[in-house]
Amino acid sequence: MSTIRVRSPASYWLAVPAAVWMLGVVVVPIVLLVWVSFWGGRTFSPASPLTFDNYARFFANQTYIKLAGTTVLHTMTLMAVTGVLGYCIAYFLVMKVKSPAWRLALFLAFIIPFWTSTLIRAIAWVPFLGVNGVINQLLMSIGATRSPIEAFLYSHTGITMAQVSLYTMMAAGPVVYMLSSIAPQLREAAMTLKATPFTVFRRITFPLTLPGVVIGQVLVFLNVMSDFATVATIGGNKHALLSNLVLLFYESSQIRAASVVAVLLMICMLVGVVIALRVVDVRRLGAER
Amino acid sequence: MDSLATPLEVVARPQLDLELRGIRKRYGDFTAVDDVSLQVAKGQFVCLLGPSGCGKTTTLRCVAGLEEPDDGGILIGGKEVTKDPPWQRDIAMMFQDFALFPHMTVARQVGFGLEMLKKPKAEIARRVQEVLKAFEISPLADRKPGSLSGGQRQRVALARAMITEPRILLLDEPIGALDYSLRETVMLELKMLQQRTGISFIWVTHDQNEAFSLGDLVVVMNHAKIEQQGTAEEILQRPATAFVAGFVQGNNVFHGRITGTSPDALQVETSAGRFYLPRPVRCTPMLGDAVSFSVRAERITDSLSDRHANRLSARCTAVEYFGSVRRHIFERPDGQVLKYDQFGAYAARIAPGQTVQLGWLVEETVLHTGAVA
Amino acid sequence: MTGGPKIGWKGRSSLTAWILGTLTVIFLAYQWLPILTLGLLSFSGPTGGTTFPMNGTSFHWYQELWRASVMNDFKPPLMRSVLLALACSATTVVLSVAAAQAMRGQFRGSGWFFYLMLLGIMAPGILVGFGFAILMRLIGVELSWDTTTFLVQVSWTLPFGFLTMLAVFNRFDKRVEEAALTLGASRLKTFRRITLPLVLPGVIGAGLFGFSLSYDEYARSMFTTGPDATLPLAVMAQLDRQLTPEIYAVGTTTTIFSLIAVMLCTVAFWAMRRSTALRKS
Repeated sequence: MSTIRVRSPASYWLAVPAAVWMLGVVVVPIVLLVWVSFWGGRTFSPASPLTFDNYARFFANQTYIKLAGTTVLHTMTLMAVTGVLGYCIAYFLVMKVKSPAWRLALFLAFIIPFWTSTLIRAIAWVPFLGVNGVINQLLMSIGATRSPIEAFLYSHTGITMAQVSLYTMMAAGPVVYMLSSIAPQLREAAMTLKATPFTVFRRITFPLTLPGVVIGQVLVFLNVMSDFATVATIGGNKHALLSNLVLLFYESSQIRAASVVAVLLMICMLVGVVIALRVVDVRRLGAER
Repeated sequence: MDSLATPLEVVARPQLDLELRGIRKRYGDFTAVDDVSLQVAKGQFVCLLGPSGCGKTTTLRCVAGLEEPDDGGILIGGKEVTKDPPWQRDIAMMFQDFALFPHMTVARQVGFGLEMLKKPKAEIARRVQEVLKAFEISPLADRKPGSLSGGQRQRVALARAMITEPRILLLDEPIGALDYSLRETVMLELKMLQQRTGISFIWVTHDQNEAFSLGDLVVVMNHAKIEQQGTAEEILQRPATAFVAGFVQGNNVFHGRITGTSPDALQVETSAGRFYLPRPVRCTPMLGDAVSFSVRAERITDSLSDRHANRLSARCTAVEYFGSVRRHIFERPDGQVLKYDQFGAYAARIAPGQTVQLGWLVEETVLHTGAVA
Repeated sequence: MTGGPKIGWKGRSSLTAWILGTLTVIFLAYQWLPILTLGLLSFSGPTGGTTFPMNGTSFHWYQELWRASVMNDFKPPLMRSVLLALACSATTVVLSVAAAQAMRGQFRGSGWFFYLMLLGIMAPGILVGFGFAILMRLIGVELSWDTTTFLVQVSWTLPFGFLTMLAVFNRFDKRVEEAALTLGASRLKTFRRITLPLVLPGVIGAGLFGFSLSYDEYARSMFTTGPDATLPLAVMAQLDRQLTPEIYAVGTTTTIFSLIAVMLCTVAFWAMRRSTALRKS
């Protein structure tokens, strides 16, 4: 017994406002996007005939296809970097930091930037990356290079550098959770069964944290795929990824073209998530053997 | 204790499966294990018994190599292993809640130890089959730990530990996580398994019934130190310290001062009166020494004769009947509590509220002669 | 045995700790340096540029921010962002408490409801914002920061509040409710007098999520805000026009502002937890 009766009408009605809100603002618009992407004709109205023309036009343009490829590649790079880096940090925080005070301090040091605006944190990279930026000043002062390197601001390198700092904790968070839920006895048991520390990691710790790794990767994947703000801030108008294309078309009132890109983005994300869930399943099947 | 003075290698005794030489372990200000020495002969069943926090589990973890002692030496099969990591020691361990790998099937889990020893695949498969059969868990081979009952988990954990045929099996409260009804059977099975395989068992428990019914050697620990070690018989009949006497069920413990000695007896003055004890052979108590002694509850009687030199009167506060034994609890105005067990199905003679004269023989009284290693 | 004391295996494993620790510290610096540099550069002199040297230290850029012209005045956007964040926070609290309480009732379709909320977290802002903007255009609703942006932002903050409340109710000891109910309190009264005070820390957490996520949201606002921009939009617009230390001053101010908000709420959270803990004991 509790303050709510199981399967009561009250419980149903309490959920209605939230459900209506989410349906109206998230589900309906996304379905609408798919619909709009098939609209033909000249006028922008629900009466438009349905056609594949919008997609045909997109795929006929080599630049766009290359852009899609670049986006996927860029996202994969970030997933790899944040994945490895995030795992190392998570492992250190959970397994190696023994003192509770230090653990709290480090935890706060990681979490506080997370509470501040992603946009501001992206902007904070601008003074670092420019031709006269901090990195170049540093490189020149230690004599690593004589003339400033232009490869940072308005470049993929710069975007990647900023995004690594923005999203590594997203990859690390779920791993921290999974690592701290592993009982220490499991690793000790493996050691008494003659497993060396590396084997313990490979056969016990890593497999048990794999769901966390996958969830972290999904988060990074979704965020990087749709992060047009960082790309715009650091890449200027010289670099764009698929998500920037949505904005570009939208601002030039090419709603149908924008919808096409949005739908393609959505498909990429869906495929990514499905693959990720597969990986978790494969792990389970692998252990079943 | 003279062995400590000589270098470890010289006096290594290969006939011993395990030897602890004065190991210590501190965590900051807290001393978890303090100068613990122990010798375990080949195929011996040793129980480490004590209240929680007494250092028994830390001692076990030092043997496993999961903790490194600050001081002292550990020898397994006559070989110095003090600084060796767990994976290089000839041991296996069973953990309190079994520590089964949640992502591995039972078969995989049981074969893990052999895999680590780089045995050929075919041999591992064959051995796993055999062991699963021996432990009657073949039908569970493809299941994961999450779907197993407590008893099944215990078998899997045991099979996993035993498959590599280690020299020593370390067991940390191995049946504590089981249902009460299962414990008796499992205890019996484990004892038989130990006798059949000849593997030394080091069994940590806080349950004295487990320790006394299983252990060839029982080691009682308290506050990081060994209080007494010996057979169940020795510890039950001749507790060496007031702690052991109090920890072991059925003892009445007295504290007092020696007020007189004769060639064959001691006279001790306590708050409950004057008592006589047989004079110990090994040590020479001095007049005025503070001592403690105990007498077992079943040695007390209320039908006194001239031979019962030790006497006191006490008021009965409770009577508990367990079928084969009737336990009477007495209290005295000075605070001394007394237990008196009466065996056999006699009719109750003493009722709560009654004040009775109780007594026991001088030779039934045990002087605590201090920690005997 | 060869000479010298053998190093235990735990000593050897601390080598890994050192390597990983160094990596962690380097990453921390990597994460913090830009933020600190931003803060430092916002105090550069009137002739200071967007990078070093600072050409002296001054509050020039903060004064500039305060005396702003109509073109780049950050005060109205700030007001809008704060109001919006407060509204989102309040709505999130009410809706997420109701929704989480509904989940305890295990109504039919609660599984689907859960996934619907999860979708709100997973769906990228750019898709939701863009889609919603089209929807409004088709229906013929004017885009504005206080209507459409509010609607979209709640769809972003609500799932976080909901998950927080679910977690809180999961750990909630419902025997306390049962006790109140057996003492004759009605369900509604029990909820108001017993349940709500006990889950208050979670409620504050949900409100905090609502405020912070809304305050910083860019992608969703981007598509759904009309002519009157919120703070992140105004910052981005200024960045497009001209990069001056003034942007850094805005960034520093809002970062400090949101940190203070987080800290206040955290303190409130602890205070609340302590008082409920006292009540329990």
